[in-house]
Amino acid sequence: MSAVPTSARAPRIIVRHEIILAAILVVALIGLGRLNDRFLTVDNLLNQGRLMTEVGLIALPMTFVIVTGGIDVSVGAMVGLCAIVLGYSWKNLGFPLPLAIVFSLGVGAAAGLANGLLITRVRVPPIITTIATLTLFRGLAEGISQAHSVRGYPEWFYFLGQGAVFGVPTQLLILLVAIVVFGVALDRTSFGRTLYAIGSNETAARFSALPVDRIKLAAYALSGLMSGLSAFVLVSRVTTTRSDMGMGYELDAIAAVVLGGTSIFGGSGTIWGTVIGLVMIQLLKNGLALTGVKGDATIVVIGVVLIASVLIASSLQRRRE
Amino acid sequence: MRKYLLTTTAVTAFAFAMWATGASAAGKWDGGDDLPTNPLECGAGAPAPAAPMKYDGAQPTNPPNLAGKEITVVDVPKLIGIGYFNATSKGIADAAKELGNVKAKTDGPTEAKIDEQIKFIDNYITSGVNGILFAANDPVAIAPVLKKALSNGIHVIGYDANSTPDAREWFVNQSPFNGIAKAMMDAMAKEIGEDGAFGIVTSTFTTPNQARWIAEMQTYAAKCHPKMQWLETVEAQEDNVLSFNQATTLINKYGDKLKGLFGMTSVATPASAEAVTKAKLCGKVAVVGLATPNAMKPYVHADCVKSVVLWNPIDLGYAAMYVMRAVVDGKLKPGDASVEAGKLGKLNVINGSEILLGPPFIYDKGNIDKFDF
Repeated sequence: MSAVPTSARAPRIIVRHEIILAAILVVALIGLGRLNDRFLTVDNLLNQGRLMTEVGLIALPMTFVIVTGGIDVSVGAMVGLCAIVLGYSWKNLGFPLPLAIVFSLGVGAAAGLANGLLITRVRVPPIITTIATLTLFRGLAEGISQAHSVRGYPEWFYFLGQGAVFGVPTQLLILLVAIVVFGVALDRTSFGRTLYAIGSNETAARFSALPVDRIKLAAYALSGLMSGLSAFVLVSRVTTTRSDMGMGYELDAIAAVVLGGTSIFGGSGTIWGTVIGLVMIQLLKNGLALTGVKGDATIVVIGVVLIASVLIASSLQRRRE
Repeated sequence: MRKYLLTTTAVTAFAFAMWATGASAAGKWDGGDDLPTNPLECGAGAPAPAAPMKYDGAQPTNPPNLAGKEITVVDVPKLIGIGYFNATSKGIADAAKELGNVKAKTDGPTEAKIDEQIKFIDNYITSGVNGILFAANDPVAIAPVLKKALSNGIHVIGYDANSTPDAREWFVNQSPFNGIAKAMMDAMAKEIGEDGAFGIVTSTFTTPNQARWIAEMQTYAAKCHPKMQWLETVEAQEDNVLSFNQATTLINKYGDKLKGLFGMTSVATPASAEAVTKAKLCGKVAVVGLATPNAMKPYVHADCVKSVVLWNPIDLGYAAMYVMRAVVDGKLKPGDASVEAGKLGKLNVINGSEILLGPPFIYDKGNIDKFDF
């Protein structure tokens, strides 16, 4: 059953996954804020916004991909590859830096397109394709970089990762714009509706003359493009490129998407849910660390929260049916 | 149209892969870090003291005056959960107890990832600690967050693995890099001869201390052991299983040609010794490296490994904490030439803003049982 309500029935809205999640988030924020007075400060919250942008930019197209019933675990490797391409093409190939940035975005989109082609044309299941390309892209990153890092970028390059506009971190502004664009695309365009249709019943969608393959291709290509953008933000924030960048981002992104109520089997989920999931994971990690909980215990808490969310989502699913 | 799209993508991907492998064929993977090196003199004998340099560290902005008062310090090593950093953490805790007015805590990522380490430090900046001790996973990437700490009036001292000098006040250097390089290369040359061939298992090519040691080893070998052959350097990321696999791969790849293995991390050295033992090449392939004594005792007693190079990591953590206290109390200022470090006595300042722990220590069959870490 799709999570997009055709007619808004008031009582039903209350039990939507996203609303419950938002309520839990508010309770958690208040609780953590009580325990630690530095948590709910504007400074800290803006800083957390800065730190969650890289995973956030990837979680948005990941929502699209998971809604179609697919998955993309190669996003972390694509971030690493795009970061290396950015540094390498600037330093070793001599591209002017703006061109290097565009080139690395192009490489990201091409990598995502390659994923999409393998999935739609060659019909390899998404999980297998992206596990294979994960290794391929990471290997390419290591091969190109020779494990040397590229440093010494000009000052203006750091504005994206470390600067602020009217006090709001630059990359956070970009994330907010991306959230709006992706959210509107999923909710209100025929592109979004096709994504839901593909996830609910791909065969039916195909027989309804929907451009299933083209839309899936677009979703995976977007995944690659946003990985490239995430790489740009990351390199700008840490002022260096390393071939091991982005490792583990795929799990963080998928966790945010699943926590936000998107069904892993496809057909339901919203960008707003993903955003709440993303914010919840980031603020939980931050709030717990500020309260003095050590790193390893925080991981346990995040795991428990994820499991609880999946339980809530599946019990809601059962209630609806 | 569809066919063209598929073919074009396939061709582009292939071309890209060829470019990448072409790029990898050019130039040897050496693990070094392109910074200038300073090899010591060949042969035995203590190195001459280095010429004094100007202070090149950074200072915190308006730090609160806590001289003599209690401070909270957090220690963020490369990763937690391995013997080496458990030892430095113990040293820090011992020093804190001795000083009496320091609350110290060790917290860090469970994998040696720079991004995670940055997030840990960032959270501690927000929670308002007075001092941060760190061992960096990447010298450049860690600089922005350390500078942020300094601008918040937090004292920043590094140990074990440095950041760029302008991101911290002082760096406690366990041993001069060229001293380690000399000790390692001389030990290897003694075991495999002046024209032996060796391989290196390191953490990653961008980890600061390992990269420095390898760079120094390269120039020292070129100067004093020019006939020794450098086969290959492989990465193993401070992971046990990966180190073992990489060492076994080197053994299988080079066969009889490989006479020695260097382990550059406290995880790589026992894993390399294990790989040599499993391949039944004990005594035929020498293993020389940096490791904690406990991990190496079985191999040293089995005569698989003749010498283990290290310093005392407990002393390293201890010294770092004393330096932190001295800085807060105003007893260590830019331009000073030495600092008092409790039971370690007076430690000298070298290279402008580095504090030297002492010369490297060689553990061998004769003395390894005296140590327990």
